Amino acid sequence: MVDFVQNCLDGIMLGSSYALLAIGFTLIFGVMRRLNLSYGPSIMVGAFVGTLVYLEFKANALAIAAATVVGAVIVGIYVERLCFRAIRRGAAVASMVSSFVIWMQLEEIVTVVFPDRTYPFPPLVSAAPVELGPFFFKVENLVMFACAAAMTVWLHWLLQYTRFGLALRAVSENPRAALFMGINVGAVMFLAFVIASAFGGVAAYLIVSADGQITPLFGLWATFKGLIAMMLGGMGSIPGAILGGLLLGVVEAQSIWYLGTEYRDLSAYFLLFLFLVFRPGGLMGQLAVEREQAAMRRV
Amino acid sequence: MDFFFGLLQIIGVHTILGLSAYVVLQTGQVTLAQAGFFSIGAYVSAMLTVLAGWHIVPALLVAATAAGIVAGIVGFPALRIKGLMLVVATIAFGEFIRLFWFNFDYQIEKKGIVVGPQGGEGFKQIRFFPENGWSTLDVAIFIWVIVALIMLALWWTDRSRAGAVLRAVGEDELAAQSVGINLTAVKVGAFAAGGFIAGIGGAIYAHYTTHIEHLNFGVMLATFAIAYPILGGLRNVFGTLVAVIFIQGFLVEGLRFMGDWRNLLFGALIVLAMNVQPRGLIDERSVRLVRGLFTRN
Repeated sequence: MVDFVQNCLDGIMLGSSYALLAIGFTLIFGVMRRLNLSYGPSIMVGAFVGTLVYLEFKANALAIAAATVVGAVIVGIYVERLCFRAIRRGAAVASMVSSFVIWMQLEEIVTVVFPDRTYPFPPLVSAAPVELGPFFFKVENLVMFACAAAMTVWLHWLLQYTRFGLALRAVSENPRAALFMGINVGAVMFLAFVIASAFGGVAAYLIVSADGQITPLFGLWATFKGLIAMMLGGMGSIPGAILGGLLLGVVEAQSIWYLGTEYRDLSAYFLLFLFLVFRPGGLMGQLAVEREQAAMRRV
Repeated sequence: MDFFFGLLQIIGVHTILGLSAYVVLQTGQVTLAQAGFFSIGAYVSAMLTVLAGWHIVPALLVAATAAGIVAGIVGFPALRIKGLMLVVATIAFGEFIRLFWFNFDYQIEKKGIVVGPQGGEGFKQIRFFPENGWSTLDVAIFIWVIVALIMLALWWTDRSRAGAVLRAVGEDELAAQSVGINLTAVKVGAFAAGGFIAGIGGAIYAHYTTHIEHLNFGVMLATFAIAYPILGGLRNVFGTLVAVIFIQGFLVEGLRFMGDWRNLLFGALIVLAMNVQPRGLIDERSVRLVRGLFTRN
């Protein structure tokens, strides 16, 4: 029982990083209705920029984090201009394919500039695990969880209580109607992309500093984990992304403990498949799917 | 010359892979599971020829049928979701198959050597072609006969009632359903057909590379599979062939002199093509343009 609870706690800590990745995905999807496959690789490039700052200037943790976020945002803007702004509306699949080739491009750049593949990344904090009754908490995981929670609260405030948030919600509801109301749809989409990239940058920094190292494979990993967490929660829903991320973390932690490490990814995909069969809308998106199915049945 | 025959083989196999995604794309479904079905074709056919000692043609058909059946089974849950959710679901399914091969171990001893799929190490020694004395040219001809057959079948389907039904579902599901088209049958059928074709491609691939491992069948291959028909355009099967020649022949082989920087230009050129021709290289406009060159007015 203690094991089970400990796994759940570990999973929630792990899941908070997935939740940050999923929030980035879901923001872009909710506003643009398009999938950005190079999201993971672009934050991977951000993390490599952080490594560069660390190796070249021996900078402190804050500067490295800032470099990671700035790098992720700049690459994010590059992706947005090339794959999303330039390709006209209605060609969502063309955008996806373009974002995929940009993924290849980014990986190539990173392997050319950083030929050793694995690079060290400084830890944010190095402290002994906190013990609370029978349970252990790693400090870096606690920091990760706290950052994720703080950023989620900030995002909630931004979306619900500011004019920009209102505009963003209007665009995600109906871009054309938002345009007629005088909202600059292009600018809102651009800002949403920047915010998503910044979230990705923070997530990348937290995850990579907890791991202590970075490889180009991080991009693929981040894209997959973010996608799965977003699907579990329901596409385009921010509470869903958080719940999906936490659920994914808990399930992975349990399967690592009870089945072994090699079943971690398999169980994640299996969970996603169960969801698709029994609850295709995810945790928070079921209503929209059911409404659509009811409409199909009426025809 | 062997280099060109080798290139022909690659282009042939990738055309088959692209066509398998083309069938599914016609019904408006974007699938990234084709690499998974491709891997089923590869592993099953290789096990049949290497472990059971079959000839390649029956092995190819059985492997393709297995891939088609799995694809049909995937098609059912996929019916409930559409659009980008389907994309992610199929990525997950493709990865699921890949991880299955990663954990799959089945080896027996034949003629003094141990053969068979060996988990992460992959499946080595798929030596049907060399053992039976097929030259590179023979293999290339064998592949292109199959490519021609598949293209002919799909070209004919496009022009028949079945093609109209597929396109109707792709254009507007609601309208298709209201004129009495059975959406379930069409979508599952398209998935199964796509899986069957991908299985054929995988079977050939396994035999000409002689060594397969789970890493060959990742999301990269799956994205290539849908990139070909999307880049080529869904107007007809030749678009896919043109796109494969453009990517595999020109971008991958032609840019080899660029060395490490190849992928940069590769990405830029595809993004450029997607920007200029979002509906594919062969769309209404380019067809009109080419026709204009050959007809006087």
